[in-house]
Amino acid sequence: MYADSRFDYLDRVRYGLAYVVTPLYWVADTPARVSDWIDDVLVSHQDLLEEKNQLQEELLLAQRQLQLLASLTSENSRLRALQAASQSVSGQVMTAEIIYISSDSGSRRVLINRGARNGVVNGQALLDAHGLMGQVIEVLPYTSWVMLITDVRHGTPVQVNRNGERAIARGSRSTAPELELEYVPETADIESGDLLVSSGLGQRFPKDYPVAKVTSVHHDPGQPFAVIKARPLAQLDRSRHVMLVISPVELNESELTILASDEMSVLPSTVTKPSADSEPSASSEPLVDGAPVEEPNAQASPAQLKPEE
Amino acid sequence: MEPRDNAFWVILLSFAIAFLLAIVPFPEWALNYRPQWVVMVLIYWAMALPYRIGIGFAWVTGVMVDILDGSMLGLNALALTVVVYITLNLHQRLRMFSAVQQSGLVLALAGLHMLMVHWMKIATDQTVSSNLFFLLGALSSAFLWPWIFVALRQLHVGFGVK
Repeated sequence: MYADSRFDYLDRVRYGLAYVVTPLYWVADTPARVSDWIDDVLVSHQDLLEEKNQLQEELLLAQRQLQLLASLTSENSRLRALQAASQSVSGQVMTAEIIYISSDSGSRRVLINRGARNGVVNGQALLDAHGLMGQVIEVLPYTSWVMLITDVRHGTPVQVNRNGERAIARGSRSTAPELELEYVPETADIESGDLLVSSGLGQRFPKDYPVAKVTSVHHDPGQPFAVIKARPLAQLDRSRHVMLVISPVELNESELTILASDEMSVLPSTVTKPSADSEPSASSEPLVDGAPVEEPNAQASPAQLKPEE
Repeated sequence: MEPRDNAFWVILLSFAIAFLLAIVPFPEWALNYRPQWVVMVLIYWAMALPYRIGIGFAWVTGVMVDILDGSMLGLNALALTVVVYITLNLHQRLRMFSAVQQSGLVLALAGLHMLMVHWMKIATDQTVSSNLFFLLGALSSAFLWPWIFVALRQLHVGFGVK
């Protein structure tokens, strides 16, 4: 036990033993899959038609928004190219399913059905349809452990969508799945109802994904910092279908190398998937990674060196 | 009689079922009442076949639980080893006990196991200390023990596990 906590050579043992226990998860997950399947099979014709109509309406709306977004994205990438910035807002995603939830009341972790064989690496962000859920902390052959953003030991770098105010959202100590904003000065302009999005600082999470909504702001005159609570937007206790995002660090690295190789190339938005056997590149420290790190574009990229007229 | 006819696979099967039950999804309100299946099965076999199920077997079982639970390797192994050590010391008395007395001891052992795991997790910073409601799992284990005992007894005698 001591060896496992201090050194990492036992990781390989864990990795190997995980082959043995994976079938158990598969069997334990069978009832959920069967009920999903029954839901799929036993649907009336009427329900299907209604659902189809509803989906078509939603698709129309989404396509309209997508058109707007496309112009915004191209404008944004032009501006970023001007600045020689190398951050990409979008990334590739991989779908996954939650197959087990840790029964330990003091830590909030889930197990997903994608592992090293599917190209998962340490530190990847997990999303559901509504917002950010957590990050991968341990990769096993066919499964991976994900720490949710509401875990006490997890800190998410966020910013207020309205005005860009930055903060770190930590999992709450109470039993309710909440987030608390840490070390926010009394004068900060944060109101209840504000949307918190991931700020991309710390280089773990992709930028601009919705994280939480502020539920209460409490100014205690006796305390140096305001007490701000937020409710995660992701349905942490209900979602089963989730998405894994290729981590922004890899995006930046691949793009930086491309930039370095070809000076005139415009930022490519396509990213190659990491190979299945790639080693986890980021450190496995699951603690607060929200220290204000410098933006990656501060590193000299060739386009910046061009003399301006 | 064949040389390998001690039906050891029955023991392995019972443990596989215990592992399954330990990771089967539970509703949110019942999480604190999750019985300690692996501990109970281990206590039964250590009591019934002390020459076959010993501390080494308990340790291996504990490592499996650690992998299943994603906790630090050896954490459950240590706790289960202690539980089996106590059971082995008491097994002759335990066989004479009535069902209620056995349940009482299972309550104590399951509670000890959960407390040890909880303390070790806090000491290694894997969880934060919260209320002790999770110990209700020991109570539900003790409540289920008579049925587990009868079921495993059937397996034990029926398949002639030696």
